[in-house]
Amino acid sequence: MLKVEELSKNYGDFVAVDKISFESGQGTVFGLLGPNGAGKSTTINCVSGLLQPTSGHASVAGHDVVSDGKAARQNLGVVPQEIALYEDLPAVENLRYWGKAYGLRAADLESRVNDVLEYIGLSDRAKDLPKEFSGGMKRRLNFGCGIVHRPPVILLDEPTVGVDPQSRARLFDMVEAERDAGACILYTTHYMEEAERLCDSLAIIDHGKLIAQGTVDELRAKLGARDVLQLSGHFPVDATKRAIEALVDGGNHDLEFIAQEEEGITLTLSQASQHLPVIFEAVSGAGGKVTETSLRSPNLETLFLLLTGTELRE
Amino acid sequence: MSFALTSFRKDLARWRQDVMATLIWISIPLMIGGLITAMMGSGVTPHGVLLMVDQDESFLSELIAGAYSAGELGELISVEKTTLEEGTLRINDGEASGLLIIPDGFGDAFLNSEPVTLTLKTNPSQTILPGIITDVTEILLDAGFYAHQLFGDEIDLVKNLGDDPSDAVVGAMAIAIQNKMGSVAPQLFPPIIDVEIVEPPPTEPTPPLALLFLPGIILMAVMISANGVASDWWREREQGTLRRLVFAPGRLGGFIAGKAMAAAVIIGLVGGLTLLIGFLYHGIAWAKLPPSLIWISISGVALFSWFAALQMLFSNRKTASIISSMLLFPLLMAGGSFFPLAVMPGWIAAIGRASPNGFVAHRLTLEITAEGAWAIVISDWLIVIGAAVAGLSVCAWRLKSGFARA
Repeated sequence: MLKVEELSKNYGDFVAVDKISFESGQGTVFGLLGPNGAGKSTTINCVSGLLQPTSGHASVAGHDVVSDGKAARQNLGVVPQEIALYEDLPAVENLRYWGKAYGLRAADLESRVNDVLEYIGLSDRAKDLPKEFSGGMKRRLNFGCGIVHRPPVILLDEPTVGVDPQSRARLFDMVEAERDAGACILYTTHYMEEAERLCDSLAIIDHGKLIAQGTVDELRAKLGARDVLQLSGHFPVDATKRAIEALVDGGNHDLEFIAQEEEGITLTLSQASQHLPVIFEAVSGAGGKVTETSLRSPNLETLFLLLTGTELRE
Repeated sequence: MSFALTSFRKDLARWRQDVMATLIWISIPLMIGGLITAMMGSGVTPHGVLLMVDQDESFLSELIAGAYSAGELGELISVEKTTLEEGTLRINDGEASGLLIIPDGFGDAFLNSEPVTLTLKTNPSQTILPGIITDVTEILLDAGFYAHQLFGDEIDLVKNLGDDPSDAVVGAMAIAIQNKMGSVAPQLFPPIIDVEIVEPPPTEPTPPLALLFLPGIILMAVMISANGVASDWWREREQGTLRRLVFAPGRLGGFIAGKAMAAAVIIGLVGGLTLLIGFLYHGIAWAKLPPSLIWISISGVALFSWFAALQMLFSNRKTASIISSMLLFPLLMAGGSFFPLAVMPGWIAAIGRASPNGFVAHRLTLEITAEGAWAIVISDWLIVIGAAVAGLSVCAWRLKSGFARA
């Protein structure tokens, strides 16, 4: 349903997206996970036809988004990150307008608009103007406008940004319902918990490159059972590095540096809690001073940290 | 076409939510037009009333009354005879331009060359008509003095003739007057010089000044509303709907066509209302209303499209709005919205007519002042239609070249 091959997008010398490839089929949610500025929205914009790729290909339901753009866009529903609604047009008119933009007419249009209003929970506010809505209600209507024409492929670009927990849960339900109805969904987010809940498979993107791809379980397996230990304070770089390497040589073979700076070090190892006294002793012996300790069990967030050396939400 | 109609209805529905903007677009030109009309006058000749208290009721006093209402002066002044009490009351209430009191014995005093006083009270709240009455009164008195100097003997004769003079006496007096007139004519009348005045043939109709203001005022309404409607592209961009439009397959043409149709209706409504008021006020033939309305609607779309194209060149709405407004007022000034092109100096008027709104206003002037309806030539219609298509094409290019995506 959705296929991206070696897709790149450059702005002059800046490479926003660098030869990324992924594929997603019917009835699945594919997550594109990464921090702000990683290249997620650029990828979605290339797939939706908003931007012309510098190289590579993307196809929607078998239609190339560049050479057969009209057919590709007809099969695509886009829910943009920013709210895109006519604030001065009633909710029902917004849905009707975008339904007509995709070719729905007459009874089919009315039936679908009513279904979507029900679906997004705005039937009782159908004739109200979106400018009178809460942020969550606008998000739901924004979602409704993107799927009113029953697209087989849906692009959801960070749909939960700035949404209250209740509306977020409702949006999750709607995404799952679309997936269950057979849609192929590309879902971008920088929230790991969203990706873990919704996505059947996902790709982690950073600085325009795909750094990991697979199902949630496959990615967790990459991390193994290792915890992530972050120590904050002051650490002489060379002495600390030598002390940790001495620990590895001394038998802690799965201990690994992820990042090291004077203000903090990040390590990964299995059953980290049991090795804390040894690590503290080694660090102190190297002249380091620990002011704060953070120990996290393996999840997608720690995987990102492991792969990039930086926090996902930085 | 179906999506164009959908977009057209959508934009009209959105504008219904913003009635205040439309009211402002209508009220500004109407207010300015009303002020200009009030300052310039409506083209109706002023008319004053001279109250006359004739206490003498002589032949001479009748002559004076007749002098005020003779010829073209009669179009300006009506003479009403009244009593001293009523006349005083009315002039004090400001109901007349002047009150002339001719005292009893005026005729005899004039014939006997004795001193006599005419009393003229004028209305201080008026400026022009009391001045005219004062000047006319002074001229009449001067004329009476010179008549007395010239025809003193004849006046003495008339005085002593009694009620039934003989034909011979009247004839002799007429001959004497004729001879005196003949002898003083070279001094009284200027030498006869033949002057051939060659005037260029009139190239344009010269309608009343107030009527010439109308096209400029209508174009002010059209320009203000065109500029306002053009800002909707930016509003759509900020709402994200242009971006969503790009996601939809092949709908750009219909979207732009719908917006142009909505602009035609909104600008036609605003300009049409101003036009209607102008037609009613000036009594213009109703047959000229349809071509005038279609003309300003199509021209309005052309102006809307170019305002939009201009606004879409800038990187933010504020700059776009400032630049657009900065352009609007000089154009209104040059295009005859504050002063008619027909009364501007030739070279300024030529520049004004070359401006987009001046071009439209000039043709509208021709339409409403021509003998019949549909006076605007086909080439002018083609020019505004071409300008509208070109402007909308530039808008389409800007949408595709990044304006919608930002």
